[in-house]
Amino acid sequence: MNIHRFLVASLALAWLAAQSAVAEPAASVPRLQTATFANGLKLVVEEDHAAPVAVIEVWHQVGGRDEIRGKTGLAHVLEHMSFKGSTHMKPGEYSKRIAAMGGVDNAFTATDYTAYFEIIPSEHVDEVLGMEAERFARLTLDAKEYAKEIRVIMEERRMRTDDDPNSRMFEELSAVALRLSPYRNPVIGWMQDLRRLTIEDVRAFYRRYYVPGNAVVVIVGDVDFAHVKRVVGRTLGRIRKRPAPPRFRPVEPEPLGSKRMVARLPGARLPMTVIAMPVPAWRPGRNDREAAALTVATEILSGGRSAVLTRRLVDEGRKAFSAGAGYDPFSMDTDLWNAYGMLGPKQTPEAFERAFWRVIRDMAAKGPTPAQLAAAKRRIVADEVFAQDSLYLRAREIGEMESVGIGANRRGRWLALLRAVSADDVRRALKRWIRPERATTGVLLPKKTPTPHRQRRHHERAGGRA
Amino acid sequence: MTMRRWLSTLVVLGLALLAAPMARAIPPIQEARLDNGLRVLLMEAHNVPMVVMRLTTPAGSRFDPEGHGGAAAMLATMLADHTARRDYRAWADWLDARALRLGADADRDSLSIGVTTLTETLNDAVAALAEAALAPGWDKKRFAILKSDALAAARKSLETPDVRAAEVTLRLLYPHHGYGHRPDGSVNSLARVTLDDLKGIYRRQFRSQGAVLAVSGDVTMKALLRLLRPALKGWRGRPAQSPRDVAAPAPTEPRRVHVPMPTRQTTAQLARLGPSRYSRDFFADMLLNHILGGGGFSSRLMDEVREQRGLVYGVYSYFVPLAAPGPFVISLKTRADQTNEALKVVRRVMREMHAGKITARQLAAARANLAGGFAHRLDSNAKRVSLMSMIGFYGLPLDYLQRWRARIRGVTLAEVRAAAKRFLDPDAWSVVTVGPQGR
Repeated sequence: MNIHRFLVASLALAWLAAQSAVAEPAASVPRLQTATFANGLKLVVEEDHAAPVAVIEVWHQVGGRDEIRGKTGLAHVLEHMSFKGSTHMKPGEYSKRIAAMGGVDNAFTATDYTAYFEIIPSEHVDEVLGMEAERFARLTLDAKEYAKEIRVIMEERRMRTDDDPNSRMFEELSAVALRLSPYRNPVIGWMQDLRRLTIEDVRAFYRRYYVPGNAVVVIVGDVDFAHVKRVVGRTLGRIRKRPAPPRFRPVEPEPLGSKRMVARLPGARLPMTVIAMPVPAWRPGRNDREAAALTVATEILSGGRSAVLTRRLVDEGRKAFSAGAGYDPFSMDTDLWNAYGMLGPKQTPEAFERAFWRVIRDMAAKGPTPAQLAAAKRRIVADEVFAQDSLYLRAREIGEMESVGIGANRRGRWLALLRAVSADDVRRALKRWIRPERATTGVLLPKKTPTPHRQRRHHERAGGRA
Repeated sequence: MTMRRWLSTLVVLGLALLAAPMARAIPPIQEARLDNGLRVLLMEAHNVPMVVMRLTTPAGSRFDPEGHGGAAAMLATMLADHTARRDYRAWADWLDARALRLGADADRDSLSIGVTTLTETLNDAVAALAEAALAPGWDKKRFAILKSDALAAARKSLETPDVRAAEVTLRLLYPHHGYGHRPDGSVNSLARVTLDDLKGIYRRQFRSQGAVLAVSGDVTMKALLRLLRPALKGWRGRPAQSPRDVAAPAPTEPRRVHVPMPTRQTTAQLARLGPSRYSRDFFADMLLNHILGGGGFSSRLMDEVREQRGLVYGVYSYFVPLAAPGPFVISLKTRADQTNEALKVVRRVMREMHAGKITARQLAAARANLAGGFAHRLDSNAKRVSLMSMIGFYGLPLDYLQRWRARIRGVTLAEVRAAAKRFLDPDAWSVVTVGPQGR
């Protein structure tokens, strides 16, 4: 989902080109090759022949943001139903065929996009592209399968959100902090909406949004661009062209003042505090310095072993046992920047918040030290190289940048912007965006229940033979 | 900070098993031994300008003093936190300025320190690894702070049903054995951990002989050794207990335990002792698990419990291959009132497989998935280092990867049925449930 990603997009190429001190392996560095087909479908390929493996991803520019009120969760339900059969494939057959190749397949849905992926031995790429085309255009969306699958999705929601006090609080906090932005709704959907969705809703959503002009196919790994271009041209590239509906992109209003919510949940054992506020995502050419500065500021606060929040709030201040912050510059629109503190038995939300804002005020006034700034930039660049180690992450970055409207060809530009961030840029960004009167603070508190320890022992004694 | 990764560790171990030779030549494992006995394993990969290293020693949580569970994990935290030469601030600043990603964690058998680095900072990375490993700082104030944070994290982790289930499961399976607690320890056991516990484990077990340094990435053995020899030359000795020096756990009576927790779902774990890393039938056991619940959507449990009945989001099985028999676990979560229904399906599947109901087709599908997926198991430096650490630490032959796929393909239906006979009698499994009352 959206908030917890601080992995920024990457490319060793841009980094190597930019760092004159670093020599050779440029020859082995991947580059992007792209094609667009008559039906509007786009293909992006990054060849890497180090291992006979390829990642195929089909990205649809549709997600939670495109759901209407009362029908949250629909994009994700459709993702699940995409494994439940198509004209030539029975329910579950897709994954079985991928497994038989020795592959792995799955999918993920976010507010901004939905993506399907396979990691497969590269000899099977052609076949899988054909399967993807079938799934794209010929889903069965059977009512009986839906009746089972919606129960699976409710179990997923119970597991990920309802039974996890931290997630549950964060879900609620997002809805409190944002007023119009689609990031206020959980991608998995509110439970009351899931109960009311129908297979007809899923079919209508599928017909409207799964159109080739909305989709990007990303392939990373041991493939030849010219070859896969031909194969995509006669599979996914043949899907009938249909209009791509406009996306829902409201402008989030500026917060009027600080807000606070307190969640007392029975499962919580210790408090947690999250401080969140809307900040802009990167809009190339429009807010380059600002988005880059927020990224570097967040890395200084939360990245590496020397993270300022850890040092000041955990190690020195003893206001939390763990603290951090997150910002995603690759969202489609204004999204939540957030900082969190996991609090121990004698640590209070109020003391954590005071100390947190002191850290922000200090850095907004004095700026980071030259060493902090240089180390943060260096880590960001290094992480981008480390991310090259995983075909899956590489494909994911490309697909994400394409799907949110930035474009994967801007990865190099993004790194250049990060390198240009000055201490003053960091100060300005913190002053402008990270302010108490813009923030919504969420506090998770335990709800008093009988002491669980005594209970547990009692029941263990009572436990009999299996 | 500290690593609380019981589950992810299991996953890593699980994946580590799955490697097999691929059609295109896998880079061979190069081996060298330093004068002090340290074994160095390397797979070269020059496609990304980076190197991943991991030093593994027999100092895992099974060496925690009785009742002091979490000591080895705390040792790992301390080793990564500061050194005798640099306090935690100076150490963090020094590592971060070079973008060295250094971390340490303890598993049941082993304790590892790892570094990921760009090729251009390899010298510093080797120096960092050596400093963390050989010059522990034992700072008392830092120990108090890190212990207090670990205690809070342990308390927080009680919000997670899987943690609660694992604590009970391990106690049931290993009442008198070093595998009987989570490597991270519990609120009670961590409270007893002292700095002397850490020093004791370090002194007895953290030795150059029996340790393995696995390296993958943009470096040659020659260049690597040139850096390693001077950096690690002060390290000596033989551990008090070798990796294989571990008592076999005695089987326990299966039991059924419920842990109350105010959740909507019940988390259910069925558990028994599984095969050890050295089991003669290891590959048959692995295929059995793959067919049962280790193979994702193609496994029998996923098909029966999720795909056919919509009872769960996930149901899976795994065993943890350790120096001695590790846990074999089947795990699921379902809305509390469906718990018995879901468990009934699981037990029926187990009973059927136990009675020999495994088809040649199921075996063929599992073999195809495992063998075909080999290249993917080896396609990053991080994965290659995990595999080499496992091979080196447990003393498996260096051609293990080359032979792996043939061994998968060589497993017969009779062997898998025999494995099912050994493991899948549902009455031999304990059942731990975590969730609301009145299941």
